[in-house]
Amino acid sequence: MGVIHPDIASQMVDLCAALLLLTCFAIVAQRRLSACVDLFALQSVFLAVTAALVAFLTGIHHIYIAALLTVIIKVIVIPRILKKVIERLNVTRELVLNVNIPPSLLICGALVILAFYITQPIISLGFLLTKDSLAIALAIVLIGFFTMIARKKAVTQVVGFMVMENGLFLGATAAAYGMPLIVELGVFFDVLVAGLIIGIFTHRLQDTFDSVDTSKLTELKE
Amino acid sequence: MIESAVIVLGQAVAALLVSPFIVGLIRKVKARLQCRRGAGVIQPYYDLLKLFRKDVVVSTNTSWIFTATPYILFASTLMASLLVPIFLSKVPLNFAGDVITVVYLLALGTFFLMLAGLDAGSAFGGMGSSREAIVASLTEPAMILSIFAVGLTAGSTNLSTIVHKTALLQDIVTDPPPHLMAFVALFIVTLAETGRVPVDNPATHLELTMIHEAMVLEYSGRYLALVEWASALKLLLFLTLLSNIFAPWGIATEAEPARMALGVLVWLAKVSGLAVVIGVIESMFAKLRLFRVTDLLGVAFILSLLAVVFFYILRV
Amino acid sequence: MGLALIVLIAAPLVAGLLSLGTRTRRSMEWLQCAHAAVLLAMMSMVVMDVAEGSVITVGILLRADALSAFMDLMLAFVGATGLLYALGYMGEEVTRGHVLHRRYKRFFCLFNLYLFAMLLAANVDNIALMWIAIEGSTLSAALLIGFEKTKAALEAGWKYIILSFVGIALALFGTVLTYYASEHVLGVSMEALRWEELYRVASDLNPTALKLAFVFVLIGYGTKAGVAPMHTWLPDAHGEAPTPVSAMLSGLMLNLALYAVLRFKSIVDRTVGVDFTGPILLVLGLLSITIAAIFLLVQRDYKRLFAYSSIEHVGIALVGFGVGGPVGIFGGLFHMLNHALAKSTAFYAAGMVLLRRGHKTIERVTGLVRQMPLVGGSMILAALALAGMPPFGLFVSEVLIATEAYGQRPWVAYALLGLLAVAFSTLLYQVSRMALGEPMEEDIPVTDRTRRFTTSALVVNLAAMGYAGTHMPGFLRGLFIPMTRFFGVIVEIP
Repeated sequence: MGVIHPDIASQMVDLCAALLLLTCFAIVAQRRLSACVDLFALQSVFLAVTAALVAFLTGIHHIYIAALLTVIIKVIVIPRILKKVIERLNVTRELVLNVNIPPSLLICGALVILAFYITQPIISLGFLLTKDSLAIALAIVLIGFFTMIARKKAVTQVVGFMVMENGLFLGATAAAYGMPLIVELGVFFDVLVAGLIIGIFTHRLQDTFDSVDTSKLTELKE
Repeated sequence: MIESAVIVLGQAVAALLVSPFIVGLIRKVKARLQCRRGAGVIQPYYDLLKLFRKDVVVSTNTSWIFTATPYILFASTLMASLLVPIFLSKVPLNFAGDVITVVYLLALGTFFLMLAGLDAGSAFGGMGSSREAIVASLTEPAMILSIFAVGLTAGSTNLSTIVHKTALLQDIVTDPPPHLMAFVALFIVTLAETGRVPVDNPATHLELTMIHEAMVLEYSGRYLALVEWASALKLLLFLTLLSNIFAPWGIATEAEPARMALGVLVWLAKVSGLAVVIGVIESMFAKLRLFRVTDLLGVAFILSLLAVVFFYILRV
Repeated sequence: MGLALIVLIAAPLVAGLLSLGTRTRRSMEWLQCAHAAVLLAMMSMVVMDVAEGSVITVGILLRADALSAFMDLMLAFVGATGLLYALGYMGEEVTRGHVLHRRYKRFFCLFNLYLFAMLLAANVDNIALMWIAIEGSTLSAALLIGFEKTKAALEAGWKYIILSFVGIALALFGTVLTYYASEHVLGVSMEALRWEELYRVASDLNPTALKLAFVFVLIGYGTKAGVAPMHTWLPDAHGEAPTPVSAMLSGLMLNLALYAVLRFKSIVDRTVGVDFTGPILLVLGLLSITIAAIFLLVQRDYKRLFAYSSIEHVGIALVGFGVGGPVGIFGGLFHMLNHALAKSTAFYAAGMVLLRRGHKTIERVTGLVRQMPLVGGSMILAALALAGMPPFGLFVSEVLIATEAYGQRPWVAYALLGLLAVAFSTLLYQVSRMALGEPMEEDIPVTDRTRRFTTSALVVNLAAMGYAGTHMPGFLRGLFIPMTRFFGVIVEIP
């Protein structure tokens, strides 16, 4: 770890985190569902790289395992599940959005600024390596949340949720130097099961409602 | 004094000579990716020579704007490229203008081209001009902001100062997140301004898909040569901006012949690399429908805006 | 004693796995009855031990102090009666042919896993493992809510998934922020995640980070507790889920989410003082009660009616915690306990009505007391309890909370009483419409086998409800005193 100058190390981690944030914007600007899923997989690759980098620079080796799990679960398994869902549902793009793309992008920009503003007071607490990562992590969580609200198709909402999870993992790993291994395993397991359950549900939704447009779910109202 | 004149001349010659090569390189990369042999990389030179020798055909319905535009376009683009550091960071003409001058020189050329498109009175020209207006109005803020993002850290909007300081890393803190965003934003702007896929297809002549090609449809002979050369020059200018503002290392910081020669080589390498990347991107994506282009340019704008805002958030 | 705790938590897990292997209804019934017995036995041992003043720990993973034991009491008791009730209810569905044995098995497996996750969450000494367990309970609940594959159930399940997952993610962010703050004092290790260590070093933690963390945790776990404005999934989910599941959700899950919020509150209070969390909880509590009171007026479906009543009661508990002070805290905790008992009773009765009338519309249901005396009677009693009538426990807690609120900020007390009056009248009006009068519809008979289970569940719950409201047994006192001390206040309970 002493091999690399701390400033450069911190910038490398920042760079990876910035790449993650860029993919978030790319997801928000996308209409094609399979492109969203691919971008999510790409984002997870960047996330794994960030985690591996943190592991290398801090010498906390169990983060490597977390990085490996990220690759397995979020780059391979979950995108595959989602792609299968897209195939079977025969839905390829979002035609009508709750919030159109240009305003969405502006709102995401505002969310990033908000995230930085909120975490400003506690960034100074952070370890030298990862100053900006907490802010970027919160920004990614907020953008994921916004994606879930701004879209109608169930698959995009799921991608939004997974983006939130990515942001959380970034926060835990880069800002807090990773949680103990058992905790990381538990979280991954939960995310995996959540993905499976969502897959099951979208199936049933398709069978019962003949569509996964969640704006059609209007039966339960006052 | 003489030295500066020589350097300026050298820069002009370099820009003029290399630009057709870049265009040829992109076409070659695309051809290879499409499993064709493709024309040679120096084909654009032959095209330019051929065009200069041919006769000009001018519609009787046009005004002076039509015949003046190729010269205006060529001159303004060449002027702009003289303000951008190519192989030397402190360009002799840098007293004459900064990034805003560059942007507006380019805008001047675009403006006249749009007028020329309308001048001939054909449907294609008008259509091309209106589309170009949409694209140009959206790229301009993104372009300025993304260069500002780097300019803020250097403390100046003068391109030479920015490049010089970044190359020497004097009072500069390179900050990955905003610079990365500004780079991506400027890259998207490059694709838009130079009429590359996914914004515009430079190889098409289908009426529904042309923007730049539609405006120059009426030109022939030496006018067409000048217009084509100017657009190649513009492409080279953008690629130079991308490489020298964000990663200027290798550029000559003093006017020594050896270092300038090295600077030329490094510049050639960077610009060719970016050209290959553009070629690959053109082959990977399909052209976007016009109203999706606004979405893409919106992304560029937001990214460049964020890059600028980051500067204030992270410093304050 | 550690062993009792381990068995308590592990029993549902084991039962869940075993239930997948049962071949007949009879074997499942034996299994679940045994399971319920084990739960009650272990719970009693744990509670008795903790009530004497000790804290049970198992290594660094499990820790049962007074608050955890209190949750165990609720979880195990209502869980046990819930199991009995579920045996009856789902058994009836099997008899009627609505559910095949394969799905019957799956139901109980999920039900047991759900109980396991909740028990684990209440007793684990680790903020992140608690999160994992609560997420686990959310996942199993999602599958349980969408169990009946009707359009309404799927829609409810989907809304639940979306909102709960978002809430959980925000809660995780709050957890990570807490870890981030505690790492500086406790180092990068498992120790930084333990409740015990966090209590020890609470005053050294960074106040801003903890304030931020609390906000996220409140929004996140608050979503799971049905706190307005994040409550929109609740009426749908509790209304459309199979009734045993509704009872569990309303009675237990909401309380578990409140437990999580309370744990964080106790730490944040030690770091930044009580004046930060108090007002926030107060405002959200009042908002929840207001929204619930308004929507109670327009309900046409009796399960949704009870669901909104849950939102109201969560709001009352929050007001109690927000008001603070010895009386406020005690009031809130007591309210949680009695609500769990009363709400589950109400849902048990409602489920029987659903089985025997076949629909959920309030208008069409009348004359319950005449047609099904036990069910009708218990529904009226439960409604009286929920509306806050003496001699039930909810009356006591509501009065205590209002009194304490009046002492601090009178307008809160006025608002509270006004809203409670609205809710009181609405609930009683709707329920009495259903219970009294002449029956208008045919009764669909229920088998004796089913009746055995459901009746016992109902009766036991009713008895507990009555007892808890009027007595304060030694073990409860033994739990309440440390718990209130926990929040920084000392109280003597007569």
